[in-house]
Amino acid sequence: MAKHLISLTINGDTYEDLVVSDNQTLLDVIRGEVGLKGTKRGCTTGACGVCTVNDANGDAILSCMTHVLEWDGEAITTIEGLADTGDLDAIQKAFVHYGAVQCGSCTPGVIMSAKALLNAHPQPTEEQINEAMAGVLCRCTGHVKVKEAIRNAHRIEEVVSHAAGD
Amino acid sequence: MPPEIKPQVPKDNPGLTVVGQRQPRLDGADKVSGRSVFTDDVVLPGMLYGKILRSTHAHARIKRLDTSKAEALPGVKAVVTAAHATGMSANSTDSVAKASKRRTGKTIKLKTGEAIFADDVVTYIGEEVAAVAALDEATATKALELIEVEYEPLPAIMDSRRAVRPGAPQVNAEFPGNVWSQDIDNYGDPDTAFDEADFIMESKFEAGVTHNLYAEFHVALVDFSRPDKLKIWTPTQTSYLMQHSLAPAFGLSVNQVQIIHLNTGGAFSGRGAVRPHHYVAVLLSRETRRPVKVFSAGDEEFLIGRALGKNRYKTRVAADKDGTLRAFDMTCEMDGGAVGNEVGYFGWMAGLSNAWMFDLQGNRFQRKVILTNQRPNFLGHGGMMVSSNCAVQQLLAKVARSLDMDPMDLLLKNAVEQGHTGLSGEVFASCGLKECIETVRRESGWNDKYDKLPPYHGIGVAVGAMAAGAKGAFKHDTSAAMVRVGEDGLITVYTGIPDMGQGTHTTMAMIAAEVLGIDANDVQLVAGDTDLTPIDIGAFAQRGTITTGNAARNAAIDARDQLAKYAAEKLETSEDNLRFAHGRVSRVDDPEQSLPFKEVTWGTLNSMEGRFVMGRGFYNSPLPYGTTSWSFDAQVAEVIVDPETGQIDVLKVTVAHDLGRTINPLAVEGQIDGQVFSAMSQVIYEELVTDDGLFLNPSRLEYKMPRTYEMPEISHFMIETNDPYGPFGAKEVGEGPVVVAGAAIIAAVSNALGGTLMPEMPMTPMRVLKAIRASELEKSRSPSAA
Repeated sequence: MAKHLISLTINGDTYEDLVVSDNQTLLDVIRGEVGLKGTKRGCTTGACGVCTVNDANGDAILSCMTHVLEWDGEAITTIEGLADTGDLDAIQKAFVHYGAVQCGSCTPGVIMSAKALLNAHPQPTEEQINEAMAGVLCRCTGHVKVKEAIRNAHRIEEVVSHAAGD
Repeated sequence: MPPEIKPQVPKDNPGLTVVGQRQPRLDGADKVSGRSVFTDDVVLPGMLYGKILRSTHAHARIKRLDTSKAEALPGVKAVVTAAHATGMSANSTDSVAKASKRRTGKTIKLKTGEAIFADDVVTYIGEEVAAVAALDEATATKALELIEVEYEPLPAIMDSRRAVRPGAPQVNAEFPGNVWSQDIDNYGDPDTAFDEADFIMESKFEAGVTHNLYAEFHVALVDFSRPDKLKIWTPTQTSYLMQHSLAPAFGLSVNQVQIIHLNTGGAFSGRGAVRPHHYVAVLLSRETRRPVKVFSAGDEEFLIGRALGKNRYKTRVAADKDGTLRAFDMTCEMDGGAVGNEVGYFGWMAGLSNAWMFDLQGNRFQRKVILTNQRPNFLGHGGMMVSSNCAVQQLLAKVARSLDMDPMDLLLKNAVEQGHTGLSGEVFASCGLKECIETVRRESGWNDKYDKLPPYHGIGVAVGAMAAGAKGAFKHDTSAAMVRVGEDGLITVYTGIPDMGQGTHTTMAMIAAEVLGIDANDVQLVAGDTDLTPIDIGAFAQRGTITTGNAARNAAIDARDQLAKYAAEKLETSEDNLRFAHGRVSRVDDPEQSLPFKEVTWGTLNSMEGRFVMGRGFYNSPLPYGTTSWSFDAQVAEVIVDPETGQIDVLKVTVAHDLGRTINPLAVEGQIDGQVFSAMSQVIYEELVTDDGLFLNPSRLEYKMPRTYEMPEISHFMIETNDPYGPFGAKEVGEGPVVVAGAAIIAAVSNALGGTLMPEMPMTPMRVLKAIRASELEKSRSPSAA
């Protein structure tokens, strides 16, 4: 199988000279060559959404369905990149505060899908939430608290400090 | 009667400071940051990748199996087949069989073992035939293609009704007629009840084949490179049973097997046993003396999942004209698939659970497990109780309708109360069933809606109960815990209970924090590794909160007692005059006299004599054969059915759950939400469609679950009955709601169709349309029709 050298920027870090083969997906390279394990491997057929990452525009992409060669020179954000300054991102804080996390196996993909939605619509409507989150499967939460976290992410600082002051 | 015991805290004024607070999960920040490690994330030095070759036939003789080309492929390190697994079988339930005999007087037949590899004959599509370990996954996949298998197809039997007919093909020669087991469980006096009752009603109900659809797929990473230590990383509900199954199979003692279960990505009753892929990974690691990871991707996940098979119920209820329920008689034909598995045991549980909510004269459950050439079956979320309760509760609505009685009144009239002794000797030490029913009646607006909604708009009610604790199924139900106190005031709880998402680790931390009077965020957990943690049978049978919770509480009390010595000296009082709360230790008789908790821990651990504080605790139900506590639940669902398309829209589900006491409302709500989702999914969407044993929809796109936009509004009401046995009065909320939500939804659909019983789940659009036609036919035949 032919090998290629590509470069990829993940969470602001540029990986030069990544050796990848023709059939590798973005997911393979994130988890394998780069070794970031936060992005999960699920069905590998684009059906479950746990492998979701964001592209440079902040849109959600299924890394298991993305041919890595086509992403030479591109930049992406994975779950590890949301809190790279140390503090959790608003959507991460909201997931913890509202109990939108249970087993946590789908959580990275769910959060990256939610992050993409919030990038486009900081205060999304119910319809926008339903549409954006329809592609990720989560059996534990039944989506209920996930949606609550997304609805409240824009005001999470206020919510958390209010709860702490109670 | 169980011994009279006093609740751990008073019901209405328990003085709790941690229990009852909305506590975000302690591992929440790790899980949202991608830091939580799951089995597939672990990569060991020198690790190989395993792949399994699976049968493509539902029933066939293996005429020739040639692995030589695969073995010769560069990068392949081992190929294993049945020859490497002689005498070995995946079996994790011996102790269940032994204990159930003591309780019921007869042994409940369990599988004697599922083969690791097919030897001579394959009996279902997906059965393990051979496996490969290679340097990378691509090479392992390629090697599978080089294994030559020649099959001689044999006649297969796919349907449990046909399997028992004379002349049907035999799945397993040991079970002539394909009947794997046949039992009748009698409780009380059902015969007299059916003889004497004013009337009998009956119905038929069927439930389809499912998969539990965990977010984390089946995976096992095994390091058996040292012959005296077997290390296994895998998601599981029970490291204890895994140790006890794998140790004898590989000539080891129990503690030479180390199970590391890290985070488990969902379980939903399906990860309570060892499976062939666990053994396959061990065999490959033993052959290569290197770590081997076996991961199932894509449709393979559906082949190796063990969930519910086809179940066919006949339900009879005996009742009197005044609405008194006298007895149930349920017959269930269970498709065990090719192995039989433990499904007979799950039928036994379903039979028991049918009766828990009602004051009955008799209850009978007749169960027949039939072998077919389908995937071996096991448990779905809520066991078989989701479907059995659907059958029972729909029929009760019909009984009520026939008596011109509101179903709520029927349920209330027959509901059990605290102190009731059930037909199999169980005593309900706490019971809030009536309060649950009254709560959902009020909160759902039932009285304004029942029989007052427009056509195709329905409302339904269901009730349920759930045993908390595994005693009775197991010889003992022990959980142990340790609480280490640091000089800095940080506490470490050691527990063997797996957290599959239900939040039990945070629950344990809250329980320890409550006893020690500190913030739950000052507790850290050591869990998920049998080399480090004390005995815990596992996270099933709703034993986490009650059993492990009591163990954690006892360990924390032991630690507190050790700290009390120093605090009593400093505060110049006796050890029993101390209160641990709000991060301080104070005198009960003079609360102004107090010390910071951290000063007490520092002082204790830095005393002249030198001390070490490690609290130890364990818990096992004090009753000889049974558990002590049951949760109770009532739910109302409201639906709209589209008569054109057969689509069901679930509008609202109102849940009232008697959980004894709420430890963490945030987690309880999450448990209820998830179970309403799961039950709705099971009764409306989930079904693996098979064609001659081949799954036609083995994908998360085609095996449907509710999406975001399909979820109903869910309201939660926690009914606190302060169980005398439970930690701070708590019982369970991990499985009680799921067995009621499905039944409430199906009762609502039935109500939307004018009381027509829904004969099958899932209620796909086609089946709903069929039911609509049936209901129209019924109306046109009825004498009152215009």
